[in-house]
Amino acid sequence: MVVATPSVTWNGPRSAYVHIPFCSHHCGYCNFTVIAGRGDLIENYLRALRCELAELKFPRPVDTLFLGGGTPTQLNKNELRSLLELTLTWFPLTEGGEFSVEANPADVETEKIDLLVAWGVNRISLGAQSFQSHKLKTLERDHDAAKIHQAVELASSRIASVSLDLIFGLPNESLTDWSRDLQAALALRPNHLSTYGLTYEKGTHFWSRQQRGQIQQLSEEAEREMFELAINHLTAAGLEHYEISNFARPNHRCRHNEAYWSGAEYYAAGAGASRFVNGLRETNHRSVVNYLRLVLSGKSPVAQREQLAPEDAAREQLVFGLRRLAGVDRNDFHRKTGFTIEALIEAPLDTFLKLGLLEWVQNRLRLTREGLMVSDSLWPAFL
Amino acid sequence: MDCQQIRNFSIIAHIDHGKSTLADRLLEGTGAVEKREMKDQLLDDMELERERGITIKARAVAIRHRLDGKTYELNLIDTPGHVDFHYEVSRSLTCCEGALLLVDAFQGVEAQTVANAYAAMENNLTIIPVMNKIDLNHARPVEVAEEVEQALAIPTDEIVKVSAKTGFGIDELLRAIIDHIPAPQGRPEAPLQAMVFDSHYDEYRGAITYVRIMNGTVQRGQKIRFLRGGTVHEVHEIGQFVPGPRPTEQLAAGQVGYLICNIKSLDLVHIGDTVSVPGDLGVEALAGYQEPQRMVYCGLYPSDGQDFEELRDALNKLAINDPSFEFEPETSDALGFGFRCGFLGLLHMEIVQQRLEQESDVDLVQTAPNVTYEVVLKTGEVLQIHKPQEVPDVGDIEEFRHPIAKVSIVVPSEYIGPVMKLCQERRGNQLNTEYLSPLRAMLTYEMPLAEVIYDLHDKLKSASRGYGTMNYEFVAYRPEDLIRLDILVNGNRVDALAIICDRTDADRRGRAVVTKLKKEIERHMFEVAVQAAIGSRVIARETVPALRKNVTAKCYGGDITRKRKLWAKQREGKKRMKSIGQVDIPQKAFMAVLDKGSDKS
Ligand SMILES: Nc1nc2c(ncn2[C@@H]2O[C@H](COP(=O)(O)OP(=O)(O)O)[C@@H](O)[C@H]2O)c(=O)[nH]1
Ligand code: SF4
Repeated sequence: MVVATPSVTWNGPRSAYVHIPFCSHHCGYCNFTVIAGRGDLIENYLRALRCELAELKFPRPVDTLFLGGGTPTQLNKNELRSLLELTLTWFPLTEGGEFSVEANPADVETEKIDLLVAWGVNRISLGAQSFQSHKLKTLERDHDAAKIHQAVELASSRIASVSLDLIFGLPNESLTDWSRDLQAALALRPNHLSTYGLTYEKGTHFWSRQQRGQIQQLSEEAEREMFELAINHLTAAGLEHYEISNFARPNHRCRHNEAYWSGAEYYAAGAGASRFVNGLRETNHRSVVNYLRLVLSGKSPVAQREQLAPEDAAREQLVFGLRRLAGVDRNDFHRKTGFTIEALIEAPLDTFLKLGLLEWVQNRLRLTREGLMVSDSLWPAFL
Repeated sequence: MDCQQIRNFSIIAHIDHGKSTLADRLLEGTGAVEKREMKDQLLDDMELERERGITIKARAVAIRHRLDGKTYELNLIDTPGHVDFHYEVSRSLTCCEGALLLVDAFQGVEAQTVANAYAAMENNLTIIPVMNKIDLNHARPVEVAEEVEQALAIPTDEIVKVSAKTGFGIDELLRAIIDHIPAPQGRPEAPLQAMVFDSHYDEYRGAITYVRIMNGTVQRGQKIRFLRGGTVHEVHEIGQFVPGPRPTEQLAAGQVGYLICNIKSLDLVHIGDTVSVPGDLGVEALAGYQEPQRMVYCGLYPSDGQDFEELRDALNKLAINDPSFEFEPETSDALGFGFRCGFLGLLHMEIVQQRLEQESDVDLVQTAPNVTYEVVLKTGEVLQIHKPQEVPDVGDIEEFRHPIAKVSIVVPSEYIGPVMKLCQERRGNQLNTEYLSPLRAMLTYEMPLAEVIYDLHDKLKSASRGYGTMNYEFVAYRPEDLIRLDILVNGNRVDALAIICDRTDADRRGRAVVTKLKKEIERHMFEVAVQAAIGSRVIARETVPALRKNVTAKCYGGDITRKRKLWAKQREGKKRMKSIGQVDIPQKAFMAVLDKGSDKS
């Protein structure tokens, strides 16, 4: 272990996340905190959020604000208005701040967009996933390509930054399928794109179907080709590949997510939400019903709490920092965490440099192209 | 107790023919235990033994029985039922004058029935043939009696038919024991001469020594001497198991019981030793037992090197009550510090391992078991080889010998074909085929022990739809064209993966092992080459391709804790693997060398 015991000074969060777990249908691959077909709980949920946020005692100005889900746009106009008002009361956005909302293409309509814009939302992230009906069907999504077009068009006309999420690596997906999706997405000229490989998470339908051998995960080789295709296509189209799964036009990176990757602190509210304040990481109960029961009876919704020791925090910061293509600056890292990268991960660092998975570019340590492909296998050695 | 009223006997049987049930019935029938306070199968008291349905330690129970106005003391000396413990059977038999040869009225004569009966005959015991489970609807008493006569030359009219389950025939059996088994000989007034036939370490009482008094008398408070080590001890307690321990004032010639002398180490108590009194009264040592032959060896390593001492303690504890198990420290380049452990056979190995797992927290890596070989050096020196790494340079070897076993297999005639085929594949040399009845035969083979121990039993069961039974015993070391096959992972020889095999078999084994390893080793961030080689000649190669891509899911605020936990878990998993030149080898892989490839190739 590393000898030095530097003290970290936490500066207080400049970011906040609010989780809205409602969805019309629970998609088979999804393991987010979601509750489907329970619109009747929305009202109570907003009440609960109000209670949870009131624990903050006084408003906390933030530079980035993110309403995620679930599907925040499942809320009707009135509910949405209350949510926006409530959020901004406790987390007033500073001048020039980023305010993101996740939306389902099927829910995007003029009035809701206008409402979001009126409350200062300047970034929208659309869960497009695919433009092809067979992929959307497999993913159990309720929209189609036309709906995505309309949604992007509408959003682009009013919101400064529009992002699309895409998923690749479905069972039986071909490279052509994926290439079509990338082209269709680029044709809409989004400011930002996130591409995720399909994962089979415990507790989802996909996982159990895979366990039973009813669906087969795509081969490593095919998935690699898809990932490389995405990188090549998107960067050729002028988007910057700035994090493993994220691409942006200049000045359109997601600042909120960058805060996560840089090890910054953040507030959070809602079922299953995680916050990181003063080195303390807390995660709320994932079950919406439990969350409601606890908060509405005046109890804490926190399910897990963990105080990170400075060294753990530093290791974590390194791992998440390396997800960014810019990598981690040696001096910055030392200044922020009190540890040097070399002292922290001496042996694995050497190995991965030799294997060509990591590289030093001047003072920055970063993943190579090869490292990008297998990054998840690097991290265990760092922790 | 007058010798004339004592009978010492064992029950010998093939596993599952009802030995434990019959023992219970005998105890109960004689009022030794109340029915209600009886745990089923009293003699099998260790949990593990219960699980596996076998008895590992021999024990003795004294039963009082009244017949025709006289009180008899019947000492039932238990014997283990499995092939691996064959030598323990003969050990118990030397303390008896008779044996009940138990045969299942449906299953009939099986391989161990024959082996055990021969052992009893060699010890000149009076055999009382007993046919058990006579209550079964599908019992075949006539055929089974014929099998007994055919296989063992025991007249059918001597067979006592019982049901250990219902109690039918038990009285008749008790009468047969008293009438036919000779009373022990020996003079109570002669100088003490007693046979140590077992021992057991009790945390509170120290060594408990089981003895059969051949001559003389032993009394509480007196001093005794073990002839072998010459150590002298005071007898604190003498007694018999009835079935719980019951102290007595003395034990005299012919009797069986236990001694407690405040002996704090079992090292002082040698099974097969003779107990007498201090001073030289000219008492001869009784013919001892042969040291148990450990035929199977494997390496046991803590997966975390920190646990080495803890593992040593755990092994020590086990060895105390299991003299047939031995171990010594060894080091492996690949696995670090561990122990080479010797066992009677594969089942014995499994039992010891299971105990280790139950009784200690040490996470173990086990290397594939191998038999003991002999190497004659050019200098004439003979080496015992307990692990492949010990094989000397080819140039120094005059002769390489492997152990040969005699295997007897009893099968229904319709399976003779497949079983013969199996034995041929295993390099068996057929010695004999004997029909026990028109429907069942006993085949006898000589076969390399290495071919027997790994999985012959399983293979026999599948070749005979579960009906075949087998028994084996070591015969001799014989010269053979053997080689050491090395396994290399990314060019590094992994000592713990080396095997000794027949030269003609090397290609098949080599291929099988590398194929298996390829499956066991996870993809790394670089290509991993797995090779099998004889000396510097590579005979098989497989490649584990480099990892190409991880799936990358979302990774935002809420995912951080979860991911970190996941990675921490993966790292722990990795730590438990053994790393050889940066290649993580899972524990299971060290057993991969047992993969022999298709039996049909
Ligand atoms: N029907 C019947 N079953 C019996 C009899 N004796 C034993 N068994 C059963 O046979 C099985 C094996 O008996 P056990 O005493 O454990 O055999 P061991 O392995 O020789 O000690 C058990 O399921 C017993 O209940 C008997 O006389 N009749
Ligand atoms: S809509 Fe999105 S959040 Fe809701 S269930 Fe489907 S994938 Fe999950």
